[in-house]
Amino acid sequence: MRFLPAAIAIGASVCMAATEDQSEFFESKIRPLLAKECYACHTQTAMGGLRLDSRESFLQGGKSGAAVVAGKPDDSLLIQAVRRTHARLKMPPTAPLAAGDVELLVDWVRRGAAYPEAKTAAAVATSEYTVTPNQRSFWSFQPVRKPAVPALAAAKGAAAARTPIDHFLLARLAVAGIAPSPDAGRRTWLRRATLSLTGLPPTPEEVDAFLRDTSPKAYETVVERLLASPHYGERWGRHWLDLARYSDGQLAAGTDTPFPNAFRYRDWVVEAFNKDMPYDRFVTAQIAADLLPAGEREPLLGGLGFQALGSRGDDQVDVTTKVFLGLTVGCAQCHDHKYDPIPTRDYYSLLGVFRSSQISQHPLALEADVKRYEGQKKRIDAMKETIDDFLQLQQKLLVDTLARHTARYMIATWQTLNSRTVDNAGIDAETLQRWVGYLKNPEREHPYLNSWFALMKQNPTEEQVRAEAARYQTFALKLIDDAKEVEDKNYVAFGGRKGIKNEATRQYTNIVSLSALEFYQWRELAAGPFNVDGYRAPAGVYYYAAKELDRWLGGNVLEHLKQLRAELAALEKDMPPAYPFFHSLKDADKPADARIAIRGDAKNLGAVAPRAFLEVLSPGKPEPFREGSGRLQLARAIASSSNPLTARVIVNRLWQQHFGQGIVRSTSNFGQMGERPSNPELLDYLAARLVESGWSLKAIQREIVLSAAYSASTQTPARAAEADPDNRLLSHFPARPRLDMESLRDSVLAVTGKLNRAVGGPSQPIADGNHRRSLYLTVSRTRLDPTFVLFDFPDANATAEQRPVTIGPLQGLFFLNSPFIARQADALNERVQCEAGEAVPARIERAYKLLYGRAPDAGELKLGIEYLAASSAGGNAGWRQYLQALLGSAEFTSVN
Amino acid sequence: MNRRTFFETLGGGFGMAALQGVLQGAPSLVRQPHFAPKAKHVIFLFLNGGMSQVDTFDPKPALAKYDGQPMPGPKIKTDRASGSLMRSPWSFQKYGQSGIEVSEIFPHVAKRIDDFCVVRSMYTDSGNHGPSLQIMNCGHQLPGRPSMGSWVTYGLGTENQNLPGFVVLCPGFPVLGASLWSSGYMPSIFNGVHIQNAEIEPEKLIHNLRNAELTPTDQQRQLALLDKLNRKFLARAGADTGLEAAVASMESAYRLQSEATEVFDIRKEPAAVRERYDISDFGRGCLMALRLVEKGVRMVQVYYGNFQPWDSHDDIRVHAKLAQKTDGAIAALVDDLKSRGLFDETLILVASEFGRTPMIQNSGLEKLGQGRDHNTPGFTVLLAGGGIKGGTTYGATDDFGFAAVEKRTHVHDLHATMLHCLGFDHTKLTYRHAGRDFRLTDVHGNVIRDILA
Repeated sequence: MRFLPAAIAIGASVCMAATEDQSEFFESKIRPLLAKECYACHTQTAMGGLRLDSRESFLQGGKSGAAVVAGKPDDSLLIQAVRRTHARLKMPPTAPLAAGDVELLVDWVRRGAAYPEAKTAAAVATSEYTVTPNQRSFWSFQPVRKPAVPALAAAKGAAAARTPIDHFLLARLAVAGIAPSPDAGRRTWLRRATLSLTGLPPTPEEVDAFLRDTSPKAYETVVERLLASPHYGERWGRHWLDLARYSDGQLAAGTDTPFPNAFRYRDWVVEAFNKDMPYDRFVTAQIAADLLPAGEREPLLGGLGFQALGSRGDDQVDVTTKVFLGLTVGCAQCHDHKYDPIPTRDYYSLLGVFRSSQISQHPLALEADVKRYEGQKKRIDAMKETIDDFLQLQQKLLVDTLARHTARYMIATWQTLNSRTVDNAGIDAETLQRWVGYLKNPEREHPYLNSWFALMKQNPTEEQVRAEAARYQTFALKLIDDAKEVEDKNYVAFGGRKGIKNEATRQYTNIVSLSALEFYQWRELAAGPFNVDGYRAPAGVYYYAAKELDRWLGGNVLEHLKQLRAELAALEKDMPPAYPFFHSLKDADKPADARIAIRGDAKNLGAVAPRAFLEVLSPGKPEPFREGSGRLQLARAIASSSNPLTARVIVNRLWQQHFGQGIVRSTSNFGQMGERPSNPELLDYLAARLVESGWSLKAIQREIVLSAAYSASTQTPARAAEADPDNRLLSHFPARPRLDMESLRDSVLAVTGKLNRAVGGPSQPIADGNHRRSLYLTVSRTRLDPTFVLFDFPDANATAEQRPVTIGPLQGLFFLNSPFIARQADALNERVQCEAGEAVPARIERAYKLLYGRAPDAGELKLGIEYLAASSAGGNAGWRQYLQALLGSAEFTSVN
Repeated sequence: MNRRTFFETLGGGFGMAALQGVLQGAPSLVRQPHFAPKAKHVIFLFLNGGMSQVDTFDPKPALAKYDGQPMPGPKIKTDRASGSLMRSPWSFQKYGQSGIEVSEIFPHVAKRIDDFCVVRSMYTDSGNHGPSLQIMNCGHQLPGRPSMGSWVTYGLGTENQNLPGFVVLCPGFPVLGASLWSSGYMPSIFNGVHIQNAEIEPEKLIHNLRNAELTPTDQQRQLALLDKLNRKFLARAGADTGLEAAVASMESAYRLQSEATEVFDIRKEPAAVRERYDISDFGRGCLMALRLVEKGVRMVQVYYGNFQPWDSHDDIRVHAKLAQKTDGAIAALVDDLKSRGLFDETLILVASEFGRTPMIQNSGLEKLGQGRDHNTPGFTVLLAGGGIKGGTTYGATDDFGFAAVEKRTHVHDLHATMLHCLGFDHTKLTYRHAGRDFRLTDVHGNVIRDILA
């Protein structure tokens, strides 16, 4: 689309200068209206090229042309847009203006659309933003109210209801005229529940026990068993880690810097789920555990990995608000949120909280041990620096010393190359050897040896050589002096060693250097070796690396060095082992409010945003946080039963993991642009139940898994395909076409009998003999293992609210060809043989029981027997092929 | 999602909450862009580390004149301490009909300069490798967003269902690694498939490409068995698009085996073709890119090497060695794309995450050196092929090659232009995530119309 420059001319010719009256009308009626309804998109971001916050930009219009034709409302784009009569432009995009507001605008345009010059641009006045009652009335900002459980007419499926959840679902289905799908049967329910709650398939024994259990509490018994299993925390902890963007390393430039203590956060999360830590405490822990009173604090400290393992500042604001509140506060970094009532000020209020906090380590060791470790480390570092400095000094002295003999080395080189008697008095053999190598090659990157090489071609006399060598020595000494002067000047310019180590000083310091040609010559004399991607320069003839220096040193100097080294060795010997710690936060010494970065530009700072909670979630204007950074106050504001979002957001996340989609499908966005709940009463019921139960997540899990909806078959009932194609009303259970990466790998290991069920501990890379649960595999931010990527493990750099499911040829290859599946098929073969004996049908039957929790039917048995009989490979190889196929089968790799 | 809604959302265009949730083979099917495209494929040659503009494609005679003197004008901010201006060690010469000046370290590209558009007015936002790589690849400094290859395959699907749509070649890993070709919040089918091309044999390049044990006959029997088991399961479980896709994926995996073995094997090329590329891992990557595009792969990204080889802080002369391993391969790729009739439908990009300072850079601790620092206010990229007007230059930096001053072009503009060549209005190629429509170009980007053919 082209710009329409004509807009300027049209606008300018008809727009009248404002009279006093018109000015007042504009300032009192029109500007506030524009500010409230339009500025979000039509100020700095100028959506559609249109800005409405200054006379000039207003007159200029946008990409679609002039915004108004003065006096002609019907012909004005602005009016067509707010009336929503324009084919494309319907403004504001979220909801129509009130009729009265439209009339105001029409009136204004009819009267000439006067736009007076403002005294100041209103554009960035976000500190004056006030959330309106209308904005507060949005559904997700309303308090949670526990709805009555709907009564169901007997005929409309009341019989199908098992828990209150079913009442809420069936009531909506009844309105839509859809009958729910029938029960899927016990076996299917058990597989769903076991995989969903523990990430592992049920064992044949568990299946049999459940099928035999005729007591009315059979389902409850299973659910209690599953919730009590340590595997429950492993499964649901991993869901949480997706949100927390957990990884075992840092996203540092270039290399994968490991966080060897990161796993302690992972284990803390797992334990929190297993112990059913009340969710409000779970939240508080992950924002401000360090600020809690002693006693309450200790068991929660591990939770701060949530904040400390990611990036700082902006990332913390973004992730904290998305994960706990389902709000995209990050969108307000550069401008007031375009859709939700979140002014930029609120963003910086929260940023101030996090900027007033620092990453720290909370040692899990005695203070004395920590002090000993840190003290020793400091001493070792200091000693290393002392030795380095000493050696560097010696190195430079050596260059200076040798350089004074340059002429002698050159003459000796000439003598060597010309098979003359070498005048080697006072000549160091290795240095001479270097000179011989150096002067053999006349191709240099500088001209300073040109006259030497020219002379060499002329069969010179010794006298000529001596003269040339003397000339070169004078030059070399001066060059080395010049280089020193450059270093000295730069050292001063930087402000000494401190400045050199200071990034900011380095950035703004202009420095001097040798010319390129001089530099290359200098390097050949005095610098260390250089090797970057195939470009090599050997060490300079006079350069001896630290470890080669000893032979040049003697007497007291060498003694001194030896003593330093001995001291270092003693210190290192005494180094205690590294102590474990939690990645943690602490308040800065001087907490401070952040200033608003205008348009997100850190160099263009605006008003101060006092540290405080979001206005829309505060009763009125938010009270500034005054306790330290304010993190604990923030945590309390989030983990509060009066916060309308916190409980809703987490129960919705639980729901999503069980049913594939949330009641609100945009699980991390409960704002204007997120989706509306498919069943708001159900959502509020669950949220209220959570708070009532003392924030027990297990209580909600029970209600969900024991519902009839959770037990329904995957068959789409009549009418549902048309009336509810996305199954938002849950007329049937949604099949999961493929297990996620962890369940898949863990299920395979479980059925082959190889799974190592140990809980917790350091992460280990995915490898042949590593049979621990996938949760314990190393997660990298930069080098995620290809198997992880293949099966949609999320990028650990950002919070992931839902995993997609990719099914394609590359995933197929894994089952057909991967050594992992082949090895596991062998293990399964061994197990089956051991448990079922030699008879082929018995072995097939056992395999079916282990993998699918059922016996094969006659057809399947026949298929297996025939396949094995006809196998050219025969014996174990035939079995491997067969069992590989079973492991790759849809029945094993999906949930239905 | 049932079959009907699935295909409806696919057919309904983009920005409609398409493709989320359950996904299968279908998302990679060919899709039509917004308008007739000029290019169908993209080959992105990434000279990671930062190619110096003033030593390659943006000649600055003033540097020779002011060599060793501070840059006139107010003090400017660079990434690290920077010193005086430094002349390029290499000479430039005019080439081709267009008379575009190219440095002597790119003699082969120089001879084909009439095929290239040289954008000399690039600028970007961050002077650190990580964020800058992230911007060049994903349009945003923070990681976690889909890469350009993900956007391209999301938008267009891919022509060959037996091969991945987006392939990334690097002997090992560049800085930041996988987040540069991540599909971010999009399904992983749009992830770049990373091939570590230090190896040659296809079996070593692609995970699980071959079954170490089974003969082809045995494997076919096994597949037949699996298919029967799955059909029985489907009959019991009832129709479900996702489950059907899972079943079908085994068959497509089998087809991938034979196709990939062929296409990833550059040894299948005649020696005369091969030797022009056989100068470096990067060169062999270019040849593989050629073969992949020929077989319908949508986008191939070739990283020059591991970590950041073009990061010549200590000595700019390293650029000569790097160029030596790059120049001939780019030239060969252009020639072979032409001879195979693919040049006009393949967009070629040659770029780094940023450029290098015209000033000498001293790293502070070393204090002596002849390198150049990172430069974000001005740098150069090359474009060629489908949709691009060859033999042109666009924009300019100041007299010293430090900052873009004429027709300043942000990375977002480059992305917008790339999508335009592929037939997309970059403002309309959106993906709905977290309740918002996201774009590769975020809220930025203008198509550089002057360089379009």
